[in-house]
Amino acid sequence: MSDQTLQTRSAPVATQATAGRFGRLMQRSEAARGYALLAPSLIFLGVLILVPFGILLVMSFWTASGFGFDTGFTTANYQKFFERPIYTALLNRSLFISGMVTVFTVLLCYPMAYYVAFHVHRHKMLWIVLMTLPFWTSYLLRVFAWKVVLGYEGVINSALMNMGLIEAPLEFLLYSQQAVIITLAHAWAAFAILPLYVSLEKIDKSLLEAATDLGDGPVRRFFRITLPLSLPGVISASLLIFIPTTGDYITPALLGGPDGAMIGNLIQKQFGPINNWPMGAALSIILMLCIATISLVFILLTLFVRKRVS
Amino acid sequence: MDIKDQLGSMRAGEISRRTFTRNLLAAGVGITAAPLATRKAMAAAGDQATFFTWGGYDIPELFVPYKEKNGELPNFSIFGGSEEALTKMRGGFVVDVSHPCNSGLPRWVQSGLFQPIDTSRLSNWGDVMPELVSLPGNDAEEGTVWLAPFDWGQTSITYRTDLFEVEGEESWDMLWDPRYSGRLGSLASGGDAWWCGAIKAGVPMDQIHTDEAFEKIAAVMREQRPLLRTYTDDTTTLEQALASGEMVAAMTWNSSATVLKAEGVPVKFASPKEGALTWVCGLMIHKDAPNIDRAYDVIDSLLSVESGKFMINDYGYGHSNNKSFEQFDAETLSGLGLSDTPSDILGAGHFQVPQTQEWETKMNTVFEEIKAGF
Repeated sequence: MSDQTLQTRSAPVATQATAGRFGRLMQRSEAARGYALLAPSLIFLGVLILVPFGILLVMSFWTASGFGFDTGFTTANYQKFFERPIYTALLNRSLFISGMVTVFTVLLCYPMAYYVAFHVHRHKMLWIVLMTLPFWTSYLLRVFAWKVVLGYEGVINSALMNMGLIEAPLEFLLYSQQAVIITLAHAWAAFAILPLYVSLEKIDKSLLEAATDLGDGPVRRFFRITLPLSLPGVISASLLIFIPTTGDYITPALLGGPDGAMIGNLIQKQFGPINNWPMGAALSIILMLCIATISLVFILLTLFVRKRVS
Repeated sequence: MDIKDQLGSMRAGEISRRTFTRNLLAAGVGITAAPLATRKAMAAAGDQATFFTWGGYDIPELFVPYKEKNGELPNFSIFGGSEEALTKMRGGFVVDVSHPCNSGLPRWVQSGLFQPIDTSRLSNWGDVMPELVSLPGNDAEEGTVWLAPFDWGQTSITYRTDLFEVEGEESWDMLWDPRYSGRLGSLASGGDAWWCGAIKAGVPMDQIHTDEAFEKIAAVMREQRPLLRTYTDDTTTLEQALASGEMVAAMTWNSSATVLKAEGVPVKFASPKEGALTWVCGLMIHKDAPNIDRAYDVIDSLLSVESGKFMINDYGYGHSNNKSFEQFDAETLSGLGLSDTPSDILGAGHFQVPQTQEWETKMNTVFEEIKAGF
């Protein structure tokens, strides 16, 4: 007890001194204030993203030998990527699948977000919460639920058979690229609805009234005012979906079958049964570069289109 | 320390705003730290061994003696293939007991991640079949062993007797039968599929490492790939597909056929004329096993007669304990594709020959390419 009282007595003096120095620094320099605010995120980025990225980059120039690594610098993994057709083919397939997923998700979610932004006037928050309700269950469960829906004796097949529309179950529904696209488009929908809603909600309604006053019909008004002004939402929704789905692993693993495997599955195999971590690292780096390039081109392209439109 | 009514005393002006904030901070830290303290305490109370194993072995039926002794089941962690398991442990995942098979044994020992098993600490060791203990590479020094054999069985074809019309004898050709294109299934792990491909290609097990064998096996695997509905590491997927008729034949272990039969699905576990793939799996103790005494309890529990009866009756696997077989007559055993002299079965099939790590990497790389369609 006596220790504690001693501590509490001396503590304010010390804290005052440090607070004073720290406070002065904060007051003097705007940059220091900024960095102090950023510090938690910067430390997080540095320790949990940049350091592993560095390890991955270094490892991608090694080679596997038995249980260990040959740490001599070599670009063999990158050469192998271009020599053996499987790597580029799986990468292209992944980019194609997640490109399709992005297009479908944005197309499906835009009307929903549009409706809530313009036609719902009361309890908007409730609507948004209801739309994201399916996403309160685990990602894995949602993917697995799609397996039940698309399966051989699944919901769709049994319904169609009961209605007498088909004789035998449709087999292309499961273990195919379509299955992966459908599932990913549903699983990531929440990530499209929210940015789309925010950008549509921000649109100044008086601009729409002005367009109508000046003689634009609903369709023209949409393409000249609403769509261009909601482009930031479309861009962020597209990127939010495209980037994580390209490397998705569990959906193709459960629903893809032999033809629906994606690059994420191969990367996992390199770190698992194939036991060639350097090759897995090289594949991850290439995947990241690809996504970065595509995202950059996409952003520049939309900015260009937007300038042309306005 | 005297307890104060903080809000009340602040209102009364007895306590400064700063003191109040400080006390609030203390309370916050206390509340945040409380779960950490309880978690630690709970872990100490229920410190059970961790068993890192294949799916399907994480069930109470196999741990009756363990539970009697320790009050709880061990903790389970599941893998889909033993290569995956070894990689995970090499990456720093520490468990007490894991569950490799004969083909991986030398490489698992080589990895330096395991400690020899002192068989005098296992009460059921006296009943373990000696021919299963004397696997190549199992001898550790001074009478200890690396792996305590637990289960053995076959990788073969489970097929629907009502949907699959067998032409002549049962054979590996059944999984290459173009009549059933799109209705055949396979295990995804190279540790099973590649070896079955070797049998189909007519490559002797001790020749599997040669370049010529590699090409031959790769050729048959490429031929099979377009006929398959899917590859999976998950036996439940294969069992459900066989039960629904989505698949008519699939590469499985004994248990899938036994489980399906118990559910009344008309299936048979084939004994292909070329011979099935046979294997023995067992238990190894991690070198840094945190609960070494309970690790021995896990092994002893799995080697017990109770577990053996369950393994034979419900899963259709062979067990390593001689006494487990006393409950079953020869007819039941042969119906399950088993025998109380495992050499009958293991000798009739093709026993996997351990390979180097380089071979495993090369095989898995090629097999992944084939699975992806190249």
